[in-house]
Amino acid sequence: MRHFVAAGERRVGRSEGTFSVLGLGSCVVIALYDGSSQVGGMAHVLLPDPSYNESPARLWRYATSAIPALIEETIAAGARRGRLSARLVGGACMFRDLLPRDQPNIGERNVAAARLTLAQAGIRVIGEDVGGEFGRSVFFRLSDGRVRVQAHGREHVEI
Amino acid sequence: MNESQQLRDLELDALKEVANVGAGHAATALSQLTNRRVMIDVPEVAVCPIEEAANAVGNGNSVVAAVLMHVLGDLTGRSLLLFEKECAMRLAQMLLDREESASRVFGELEQSSIKETANILTGAYLNGLSDLLGLMLIPSVPSLAVDLCGAILSTTYLNFGHDRSYVIILDTRFKFEPGESSMEGHFVLLPDPASLRVILKAARVK
Repeated sequence: MRHFVAAGERRVGRSEGTFSVLGLGSCVVIALYDGSSQVGGMAHVLLPDPSYNESPARLWRYATSAIPALIEETIAAGARRGRLSARLVGGACMFRDLLPRDQPNIGERNVAAARLTLAQAGIRVIGEDVGGEFGRSVFFRLSDGRVRVQAHGREHVEI
Repeated sequence: MNESQQLRDLELDALKEVANVGAGHAATALSQLTNRRVMIDVPEVAVCPIEEAANAVGNGNSVVAAVLMHVLGDLTGRSLLLFEKECAMRLAQMLLDREESASRVFGELEQSSIKETANILTGAYLNGLSDLLGLMLIPSVPSLAVDLCGAILSTTYLNFGHDRSYVIILDTRFKFEPGESSMEGHFVLLPDPASLRVILKAARVK
């Protein structure tokens, strides 16, 4: 069973099925997994943190608020904090030549915020496919926690 | 900003008219460039939260050639021109005066011709708006990406949005006629929220 996780949403499950995002651009997908309990959770965030706009109430929109909440939800579903590991995908940047050169683009900021928030929570990042100038489609298998990433014009990778 | 999230019918109609005039000019330019009939749909105007914006134009899972340009001058925002990938290939072949099956690779020459086309079409679109609204509008240089439509849209909104909680989208679909369903694309104008008032004022919507 494949479930799609839309922007600003998350999903938590156990042992079977796939969580998927098609056409991921500068957004970042965080996939948490505990191999012993086979509990996994995936969040699809759009922005680094609530300072980026006027709707701080949207918890799942931002890396800094979505990640702690996703950790709690996976634990509630049976994962153990100490066994959780993370994989990160996304943070691409298209149209680079139209962006100001003196500041990081939103994709880079999303990835940096996700890494920092995971580090603060003590969760190890064991795989990443981030950055670049191309979009990605993401398939997170709950049977083993692996994440397959497809990109237009590139061989797929598995992390 | 809250006031502009809910547009009144009158305002929506004015924005549709603005998009219609812009896209009409662009479609005429495209028709003259390719010597084919180009039809446009009734424009769609949407104000939606960024979560929904990736699916607001076209089919998020199709691969498109997208050309983005900044719009500067009396109103600011971005113009995004989307071609279904197949359409972009055929268009490049038409413009380069090649056999239809001569090349399947979207190489430098093809990319350059699509960017140049986007320059002309966006220029026409903005000229239409200038004439209608009496505003001075200047396009930036174009930037091209070939990717999944959803990835392109979300990246555009998030990287360039000044207020990143919602976006204003003026979308007009165009298609070549006669032509297969893949011979289509979208003229999209993404005015910054502050510029929405400028457009409505120039269109004399109170």
